[in-house]
Amino acid sequence: MSAKKDQIYMKLYISENPAAKSADISRRIAADDMILTSSLPTTAGSRMLKGYMSLFGAEVLTRLDNAGFTLAGKANVGEFAVDLLGETSYFGAVETDGKLSNAAAELLKAGEVSAVITLDVNGYPRRAAAQNGLISLKPTYGTVSRFGVIPAACSGDTVSIMANDTAAVSEIFAVIAGHDDKDGTSHPEAVCETAKTAAVPIKRIALPVNLTEGTNEDVKGKLAAFTASAEAAGIEVVKVESDIIAVSNIAWNILMSAEVCNNVSRYDGVKYGYRAENFSGIDELYTNSRTEAFGELIKSVIIFGSETLSADKYNKQYDKALRIRRLIVEAFAELFSEYDAVLLPACSALSYGEEIRADKYAVYTENRFTAPASITGLPAVVCGSVQLIGRAFSDGSLLAAAAKITESEGK
Amino acid sequence: MTLGYLISLEQINQLSLTDRQREEIIAFFAARDAELERLYRFDTADTERMVHVMPIMTVVREDKAVQLFTREALQAAAPETDEGYWCVPRVLE
Repeated sequence: MSAKKDQIYMKLYISENPAAKSADISRRIAADDMILTSSLPTTAGSRMLKGYMSLFGAEVLTRLDNAGFTLAGKANVGEFAVDLLGETSYFGAVETDGKLSNAAAELLKAGEVSAVITLDVNGYPRRAAAQNGLISLKPTYGTVSRFGVIPAACSGDTVSIMANDTAAVSEIFAVIAGHDDKDGTSHPEAVCETAKTAAVPIKRIALPVNLTEGTNEDVKGKLAAFTASAEAAGIEVVKVESDIIAVSNIAWNILMSAEVCNNVSRYDGVKYGYRAENFSGIDELYTNSRTEAFGELIKSVIIFGSETLSADKYNKQYDKALRIRRLIVEAFAELFSEYDAVLLPACSALSYGEEIRADKYAVYTENRFTAPASITGLPAVVCGSVQLIGRAFSDGSLLAAAAKITESEGK
Repeated sequence: MTLGYLISLEQINQLSLTDRQREEIIAFFAARDAELERLYRFDTADTERMVHVMPIMTVVREDKAVQLFTREALQAAAPETDEGYWCVPRVLE
């Protein structure tokens, strides 16, 4: 292990499986710490769940185990995976060369594992993949079982895959996609099978230019390079505009906060999780446990979600966001009547400077690039540091297009 | 977002923020309220709510009496146990 790797190593894995050291690298995977494991602790990057041992493991990991993959460890993740890259983890942010990085991405770059299973709640895996030149697939919502993942924003939470190349992502996706009786949002097996095929080739891509505003020159350069490679591969890229897709993150922040607020209400310091040492009664026990264990970003999400669900704001905010979600779904459907995919940045910059890192609420605006796929449940592939969103169940086609464009880039 | 309203939200959510955190969250909410105006420009009066992007089914399984976990396993993650029982804080003061 290099000195540099050693320096950041402790922040990459929350927990490690020593038995995986001897496994073939092509079969060695990691899971982020939102994915439950019965053999290793699961913390969701939170002090609230420090040392928590689940009684059962996630369905995705069972499927991968059955297919001969070995779990090397649990990758560090931001608290309940709602932040930019993992910077809110109770166990510390991952930094390389003074820049904010991400544990899953660093594990892949270090050659520790061939793929990382992540939970895409608010886009962190896509930002991490884009900033590190990796491939990430956020599958169509409901094609991969969420049984055994820590729920955060359930209507958008999607078990995702990050790897160094499209072949590794496709291999993992073929194993984990499929119906699961234990998940009430799981599609029938035949539908999941459709997602694995590249049935509809990507020939025309829409680029909503108003959604690229606010990106820096590096990202604009990646979009231009991707467009050039796509066109060299015979794929047409057409500039369009969409006002409604541009407000996806505003609606998503409302829905996500409401769902996270409800989901983390179970953590009260009594049945499991962190319990405050000092309290004089039951109310103080709850308050002190939650106040001491939750980080600042999650507290803001809880307050935001609670307000949006209050009697005063329910119609104006929550109900409005649900209606906007339908308009966004319809806007994508209209685009897909003419185009096979939509090209978007995944982040505003290829590394986050001090300005964005100093703003602890930056993720609420930075997620404007990832929210469109989160709020609609559409599949998204990050490739060449940009993001390609496709029709529902076009996951295989997106991966095929990503491979073709990557190949064209290399020429 | 007023300070009084924020404190009531804290109480509902069993949280206690510091003065600094309250100031930051009030400032954040002011910026967020300005953003929300962008949503209100869209007329949604005739648009149906979309709670979920796909139909959700209720998972129903046949009833089977099986021992899934032992008492020891179930209590392994508890902050405190005593001879097979969960220790919970005294609630009668």
